[in-house]
Amino acid sequence: MTRGHIVIDDVVKVYDPQGAAVMAVDHCSLEIEPGEICMIVGPSGCGKTTLLNAIAGFHEITSGRIVMDDEVLCSTAKPLSTPGPDRIVVFQNGALFPWKSNLENVIFGPLMQGKLGRTQAIEKARAMLADAGLSGVEHNYPGEVSSGMRRRVEIVRALMNDPKALLLDEPYRALDSLTKSVMHEALLEIYYKNKVTIFFITHDLEEAIFLGHRVAIMTTRPCKPKKILDVDIPHPRDYGVLTSKRFRELIEETNDAVHEEALKAFQAGEKEG
Amino acid sequence: MEAALRVGATNRATAALRESTPFRDVSEALLQRIAAIARPARYAAGARVYSAGEVPDDLFVAVSGRVFGCEGLLLGQNQRLSSVNATEPTEVLRINADQLVGLLESEPLEGLDVMQRFATVIQREFSLPAPAQVRRLSGTPLTEEMSTLSLTMYRASLWLRSPRPYLMVIGFALFLGFWYLAVEVWKLPRFREMPGVTSVVKEWLSPAPTYGLSLYTEEYYKHIAVSVWRVAQAFFLATLLGVPFGLLLGWSRKFKEYVFPVFEMLRPIPILAWVPLAIVMFIATESAVVYLAFLASFYATALNTMLGVQSIDESYVRAANCLGASQPQVFRHVVLPGALPFIFTGLQISIGVSWFSLVAAEMVSGQYGLGYVINTSYMMVRYPTIIIGMATLGIVGYATSALVRIAGDYLMEWRVRELALAER
Repeated sequence: MTRGHIVIDDVVKVYDPQGAAVMAVDHCSLEIEPGEICMIVGPSGCGKTTLLNAIAGFHEITSGRIVMDDEVLCSTAKPLSTPGPDRIVVFQNGALFPWKSNLENVIFGPLMQGKLGRTQAIEKARAMLADAGLSGVEHNYPGEVSSGMRRRVEIVRALMNDPKALLLDEPYRALDSLTKSVMHEALLEIYYKNKVTIFFITHDLEEAIFLGHRVAIMTTRPCKPKKILDVDIPHPRDYGVLTSKRFRELIEETNDAVHEEALKAFQAGEKEG
Repeated sequence: MEAALRVGATNRATAALRESTPFRDVSEALLQRIAAIARPARYAAGARVYSAGEVPDDLFVAVSGRVFGCEGLLLGQNQRLSSVNATEPTEVLRINADQLVGLLESEPLEGLDVMQRFATVIQREFSLPAPAQVRRLSGTPLTEEMSTLSLTMYRASLWLRSPRPYLMVIGFALFLGFWYLAVEVWKLPRFREMPGVTSVVKEWLSPAPTYGLSLYTEEYYKHIAVSVWRVAQAFFLATLLGVPFGLLLGWSRKFKEYVFPVFEMLRPIPILAWVPLAIVMFIATESAVVYLAFLASFYATALNTMLGVQSIDESYVRAANCLGASQPQVFRHVVLPGALPFIFTGLQISIGVSWFSLVAAEMVSGQYGLGYVINTSYMMVRYPTIIIGMATLGIVGYATSALVRIAGDYLMEWRVRELALAER
């Protein structure tokens, strides 16, 4: 299977190269296996979102290249990749269209691409929503359901397009810790059914180790992998993992590295982002 | 033989314990000791395992590894919080909670770990699971059958039951009462020359009005109709041109750079300053009046529409791009609906200023209309008629902006529902 194999090769991103020349990403290389959950951990403002934006096609890169399944997304010659339904972003604050019902949101992708007719799209959406335990909220608007529910609908909206990769940008940042733990299990459950590559940005080390096959701990701005941790806790996982010995050991092993970067970021006074 | 049977049972017990969350990682030795105090039990389908209120002596581990009935572990919890029935034939292990605690205390390190996991299990058991949260938030009839109409009716009935309509009536009564007293009873300076409320109402309701204008004269409705028709033309024209113009201003940076500075320079020019030019431009007075009303409306609509487009969160556009929408699709499905709340704010302002500039224009030129009524009544010294014209303007103006608001609610059901949930 070669779906969702992402290679980040020596990527550099400098904001405002003529003026302030802020280096956000510094010769970053990272390979993400097909169907892997790769967690990117770093302090706020370390430049990890810049990396995600480069893959998604929201920001240009300065040099290097990003390849997915032998297709060059962006490179020095073509600095901006084209956004597309093969890699879909789930945004930090959620981006379900509030003026469309949850069902209409979910069928949006296939309808816009002309891949499915309306009836077929609705049929598929109903099945996928039911699968994710979201049948009751089809006709509600996103503003009427809880924020945790909105995130799940958004993930279903992404999966409707059979993407190769999901790019999640701190999607659970605004949720309370109880909802968060439910969301983690819901995400894993969806993942076990779909096995899509997941590129997940977070600043929460526990979240990263609980969810990820691998955890890449990034240096603070400029951003590049400082330490890559293979999480050897077998999948499928549930919340019981959180209290297992191995989990605690892994946290201890990586905590120092994360803390060190957070301290650096704090001292540098980086702004959020 | 009997010993062999017992060993088999113990093995099955340890296997079940291994499956459960709390005992997953404990050492083999401790697990054996826990298995030794566990008593197997069997329940037929439908049998009651325990009932709420009973003494929580044992906790239960199903063969599947599911743990339940842990109330006995909680300090000071001396009764069951729920009842449990077996839905199918079930084998479980019963473990006395006090014995278990004693056992865990003898192995403090491992015991602490186990107790922490029990804490997680209990927290999960007694916090709302996700499907229950769904029902609580959205299972109300407010989902499918609730149309905009019934929602509006519902809100109207709420309004009638609230103190607001009665406060409103009191407000009007105070206003009219003060008018009556100030003019007709106290005869306060400055108010003395004003027509009193009784003479105005008498004139307004008279079948044979002294000054020629009342609810019974055809003239009255002709004036209203002419004014409404002018405002309607101006408003629709302003909407038809202003909304696309504003969308373009917000959507295209280049277009904005060309056009916006000119727009911003023309906008502060008061409508009355346009009157002479409008009369020169349009030979017919009718078009000149409509043009003036249009101009003010157009500014309000265009400006708010532009702000609406600019207010749209960039993630929506990005999300649409990710999902494979083309530029025209983004415009149709993201920009237009996203700007709609601002557009309708603009339209509310627009209809207001359109009345404002219409009356100004009618006072200067024109042969019919409410502004014309007010102005000529002044010149002909028909004071009560002035007030009739003013009050009519107030009522008709309010009605038109209410219509715009209703249209907005109809088009933005999502927003009505969101606001209803926020109880606003």
